Amino acid sequence: MIIPALEIDRLTVRFGGLTALDQVSFRVNAGEIYAVIGPNGAGKTSLFNAITGIHPASSGRVLIAGSSLTRRFTPATAFAMLGVAILSGLAATIAINANDAWDQAINAQLGAASFPWAVAWSKLLSAFAPAPVTLVPLAIGTLLGALGAWSMWWGSRRTPELVAHAGVARTFQNIRLFRDMSVRDNLLVGLDRRLRTRLWEIAFRLPRCRTELAQACRMAEEILDVVGLRAQSEMNAGSLPYGHQRRLEIARALASRPSLLLLDEPAAGLNPSESAELMELIRAIRSRGITVLLIEHDMRVVMGISDRICVLHYGSRIAEGTPADIRAHPVVIAAYLGKDDHG
Amino acid sequence: MSRLPASAPSAAPPPAPARHSERDGWPLSGKASLCLAGALAVPLVDALMPNAMKVGSLVPPIMIFAIMGLGLNIVSGFTGLLNLGSAAFMAIGAYAFSISTCTVYPFQIGFWPGLALAILCGGVAGLVLALPTMRLRGDYLAIVTLGFGEIVQDVLKNLDAITKGTQGLNPVPAPALFGLTFTSGNFVPWYYLLLALLLLAVAFTRNLLHSRIGRAWIAVREDELAARSMGIRIARAKLLAVAIGACLCAAGGALWASFQGTSVDPGYYDFQLSVIVLCIVIVGGLGSISGVLLGALIMIGFNSIILVKLSDWLASHGIGGGSHVLSLPNNWKYLVYGLALIVMMRFKPEGLLPARDVQEQLHRPVDDGAGAGA
Repeated sequence: MIIPALEIDRLTVRFGGLTALDQVSFRVNAGEIYAVIGPNGAGKTSLFNAITGIHPASSGRVLIAGSSLTRRFTPATAFAMLGVAILSGLAATIAINANDAWDQAINAQLGAASFPWAVAWSKLLSAFAPAPVTLVPLAIGTLLGALGAWSMWWGSRRTPELVAHAGVARTFQNIRLFRDMSVRDNLLVGLDRRLRTRLWEIAFRLPRCRTELAQACRMAEEILDVVGLRAQSEMNAGSLPYGHQRRLEIARALASRPSLLLLDEPAAGLNPSESAELMELIRAIRSRGITVLLIEHDMRVVMGISDRICVLHYGSRIAEGTPADIRAHPVVIAAYLGKDDHG
Repeated sequence: MSRLPASAPSAAPPPAPARHSERDGWPLSGKASLCLAGALAVPLVDALMPNAMKVGSLVPPIMIFAIMGLGLNIVSGFTGLLNLGSAAFMAIGAYAFSISTCTVYPFQIGFWPGLALAILCGGVAGLVLALPTMRLRGDYLAIVTLGFGEIVQDVLKNLDAITKGTQGLNPVPAPALFGLTFTSGNFVPWYYLLLALLLLAVAFTRNLLHSRIGRAWIAVREDELAARSMGIRIARAKLLAVAIGACLCAAGGALWASFQGTSVDPGYYDFQLSVIVLCIVIVGGLGSISGVLLGALIMIGFNSIILVKLSDWLASHGIGGGSHVLSLPNNWKYLVYGLALIVMMRFKPEGLLPARDVQEQLHRPVDDGAGAGA
């Protein structure tokens, strides 16, 4: 069986009493352009947020290329937690006893002509000998450290970073560029997951740092060529016109070389000719082997480029099929498209 | 090729990333070279001055505070985490250095190992502060760091077996380098040592800024969610920023202790000191490295040169020194600071030497994009 690029399996997302998504299932095959449509509030963006790990799923699964992208509890995790717990326990013990221990171990010996290190050492050890004043902070500190480490791990099982590193990139409904960075730097941030330089190499500006930067800039300019923003690469992202910002956001997502690209209303606010350019761009992206999942209200765009469409309504899937199927689907017409709108 | 916006520059983009001019091997621009030459010449000029005009011995604090400003700039300027506790990291550095080097205790590991230890302690303290507060933003983080600053002072006061409480630890040794004598009487070795360390800190900060780490910091400042969605590990980026900022502040603290010959008392590292470091960063321009240097020059220069010289001058003319609070220039420095900040915020909120990105943000036309490309 071929593993789908994205499989949503009975996904439910609740916010308090509100059910944003209710048992939604669908599959997106590799290389497909798949659109999700529906009225406002149908749960489309919640779907994207659940896929990318911004909101946790209340139940159900999101599988990306067959993997749930969830950090597992491995022996290494256990060891790390244990380490944090013991360190914080020791820190608490030392903090409580430092003053007395120092007095006995160091200050008491200060009069001597040459400092008796052996005596100081044994006094220090005896100051930390098992006693209520050492054991209680040790226990409390260890417990708190363990709790903290556990909660940190619990919160980081499925994060947007993790999903992004697995090759899923996205754009946002309301453009979220790094507005005060240059166009090129925006792409370099997108490229970041492919960069490898380490802190010490950067601190001393070792040769590898420069070669990698030059390489990254070349890659960035290739992508800027694709979206037609090469000439603006030195401008601040925030000072680009709206349509270019939309393209730049797609370019930034492409820079991470994703296998699955999520586009949240990429045609919102674009004029007809810009929408046409956008459709070309999305087709070009697909032809590079990238699977595209798309949320869109512009029916010309949706019907024009999608291979298959899924319709959400109040958090539930009401239809799925090819553009022709959807256009003729009575329930979809009633809920969303309307009688006279044939896109 | 799509239409260009009306405001697009017509110049072709440079083929290679040429953000800073380093094509011919010399890593500094013309202006920076000039400033460096000026800085190198200060002791020579000072030697030629008449006694009343000599300021050289008052200059080292400027450079120490500039190093700390660079540290805070990484946290607050690049990464956008408002830190009101930089004095705490300075105190940690100063005390780690003093305990490990002062003649009271048997360790006496010497200046350079002491400095390294202070930096290490600062970094660890930064991590300890940042780990549990990673999810906090803006005002909440500011309150936590404020509290941290107060706690560190109290801890240092109350661990009196170790820190000698409010007396401070002394004597703390001066550096030893190439057989030079670093005494309070002769500022020249101090001056060049600190200048070298400051340049090192500037180079380090600049290398970080123009790297993937610096871009990650700025991305976190601009839009945390977008940064995460691009695979930036924001927890790591924030921890690194706070830790490196703390390292630089701790280095400043260690140098301060060594320069003063004492750890000073814990009460010195109070909220006001944190605010002064923050002012250095804000006056120069948040996120701008050259801005920090200028900010330190202005803020600390005013505090430790102009005020001192003014007091001397007034005293020598028989003015002031009386019982009235306003007769001592030192008493109205906060008035001047406050006024200067208000004027700054009104007329030049991006700072005197702003980073280019922030400048555009604050002076952008109100409704950008609308009609620019249509």
